[in-house]
Amino acid sequence: MIGEFERTFGAVLEKKTLGKKKVLYALRVRQEDFPKMVRFLLSMPTVRLFTMVGTDERPFEDAFSVTYWFADWREGEILGIRLYVPEDNPEYPSVASFHKGALWFEREVKDLLGLYAKGLPDPRRLILSDDWPEDEFPLREDFEYYSSPLSERKPQYLPKIEGTSVHAIGPYHIALDEPAHFRLFVRGEEIVGVDYRGFYSHRGIEKLARGRMNYNQVCFIAERVCGICGFCHSTAYAQAVEEAAKIEVPDRARYIRTILLEVERLHSHLLWIGVAAHLTGFDTAFMRVWEVREKVMQLAERLTGNRKTYGLVVVGGVRRDLLDYRVSMIEKFLKEIKKEFDRVVDFLLSARSFVERCRGVGVLTKELAREWDANGPVARASGIDYDVRRDFPYAAYPELSFDIPVYTEGDVLARAMVRIDEVRESLSLIEQAIDAMPSGPIMAGFNEIPGGVEGISAVEAPRGENVHYVMTEDSNVIYRWRIKAATYNNLQTAPDMLRGYTIADAPLIIASIDPCYSCTERIQVMDVGRWEPCP
Amino acid sequence: MTKSYPFEPEEAPPEYRGLPRINPLLCIGCGACTNVCPPNAVIRIDDCSSGTRRIVLDVGRCIRCARCEESCPTGAIRLTREFEAATDDRNDHVEVVEMKLAKCRNCGSFTDYTERQVHKVLSIIPPGILDFERIRDKLPLCSECKRSLTIINASRVGGEWR
Repeated sequence: MIGEFERTFGAVLEKKTLGKKKVLYALRVRQEDFPKMVRFLLSMPTVRLFTMVGTDERPFEDAFSVTYWFADWREGEILGIRLYVPEDNPEYPSVASFHKGALWFEREVKDLLGLYAKGLPDPRRLILSDDWPEDEFPLREDFEYYSSPLSERKPQYLPKIEGTSVHAIGPYHIALDEPAHFRLFVRGEEIVGVDYRGFYSHRGIEKLARGRMNYNQVCFIAERVCGICGFCHSTAYAQAVEEAAKIEVPDRARYIRTILLEVERLHSHLLWIGVAAHLTGFDTAFMRVWEVREKVMQLAERLTGNRKTYGLVVVGGVRRDLLDYRVSMIEKFLKEIKKEFDRVVDFLLSARSFVERCRGVGVLTKELAREWDANGPVARASGIDYDVRRDFPYAAYPELSFDIPVYTEGDVLARAMVRIDEVRESLSLIEQAIDAMPSGPIMAGFNEIPGGVEGISAVEAPRGENVHYVMTEDSNVIYRWRIKAATYNNLQTAPDMLRGYTIADAPLIIASIDPCYSCTERIQVMDVGRWEPCP
Repeated sequence: MTKSYPFEPEEAPPEYRGLPRINPLLCIGCGACTNVCPPNAVIRIDDCSSGTRRIVLDVGRCIRCARCEESCPTGAIRLTREFEAATDDRNDHVEVVEMKLAKCRNCGSFTDYTERQVHKVLSIIPPGILDFERIRDKLPLCSECKRSLTIINASRVGGEWR
């Protein structure tokens, strides 16, 4: 991707190399060429829009910047194109006008930084609450992180489609205990259109990290972005900083991270399989799957000191070593989990009520999945063979062998099967990682983190790719931290998945993405009754 | 599977990270924990008029990351295995350790470190490497006096260093 791109457009661009196979181009002149470049990149069959970052660079560049990051998952290359947007004319050409996957990115930049994409198809407010003033932009440098201005409440719902009635799901999802508001436009039973209003749990932690935290404290708030895949977020963040500051992580730390990442995938997938069984009315399977999951949670507690929020990753390595007695504990637990999981899956799939309920429901075609840049199990169930662990290797994955399950049906059943297969792969990955565990230190030694350097890193979370972008500043502070969770793109496919099915299918279809609203909106929901994060 | 908790006690595993507690006998008030704590659950409050420093730990804000335990030079702050934090009084969550600030031996005002810190520093200076008595004479000095004495000493050409 990088070679071809440079041959075609290299003349007008300023190049900066971030790492191996990672480059950033700044486009300072001829912004009107930008859509042509994006079309050129996205026309390649294995290139996807990775993330998009808007930054207030006025202190050093005298302009805002928006950077589109593209990833070629066959070549393993990451390419960024940066546009500078002047303050007096805050406009740039829109990508969402021809590529759906960019829609929320551009709406987010409009909300948080006040930069407008020319030709944005849906310019409604996305992130900020309905009573936030029109002229306050929280990610600008002149906005203090503790202020919270108020104005009149102006909700912006989509107008109702002619001849339909509105059926609301939300503001709380019935199974997932998280806030999200779907307005289904229905004709009789059939869903003909969907309006989504989310981001009720946006708390601006990117601004908080900028306002009052140093780079190592951010690891812990990154972990609290999500109550399920928090460890993926803190790992992705730490990797981004390590890449920016060129810190070499010790081998043992890489393996420990891998083991914990897979433990997290185990419990997340088991949670989802249980919820899916519950939503299809098969509560016996739900209980039995969660019984297996409880073992994984106990294992995590013994390994890290807590069932969730492992608190293990800091920049440069991990904090707790995998002592010998813990290794034998993992082996014992794994043996039990494997045996019980096989039994429980046989039980679940032998029930025709579950299989037939999921088959042929919520189909997402490969073309639509590509257009929305779907990722993770959602993409793999629609025939897109993409997994960050293999395509952009990190931690110890390049040294371990694993299969990536891909199904082509694109329905809820395919998504369930992808996750069931991945549980088996995770169990084998943990075993391999224990066997191949090298000895040595678990923390890298390094000097101060330099200012003004950038890093971008992705981790395959249970739900898909978590992309973290980091730009550092002097005196151990992060200047810009951008989180993109897997659900950010997957949730946007929900309206297309829902269209044509019935109201009764809606909860199951929405849950089949395994959406994590908190990840997407960047805050954690806590069930204080149980002291355990909600999904 | 179902247990009759809370009517029977529930033990957390030995690795568990629970509520942090400060041992007031060991705490020297250096504030290392306040610098690393991500949610600012433990803070340092100096009162220069009465000459006290308070280390205030609020477990209601704590996220149990155990960074304080890692950074504490004396092992005073430790995560316990307790996990039951529920209470009907918010003040139960707050633990305060109060100690005296050292007095500047030159001007008599309070310095920005505690008496216990001075003792700690004096106790860990390796004998024979530094002139012990001279360092003892220099401590404690407030930052202002330290600065002016350094300038006075440096400008005294060939003179005696205090």
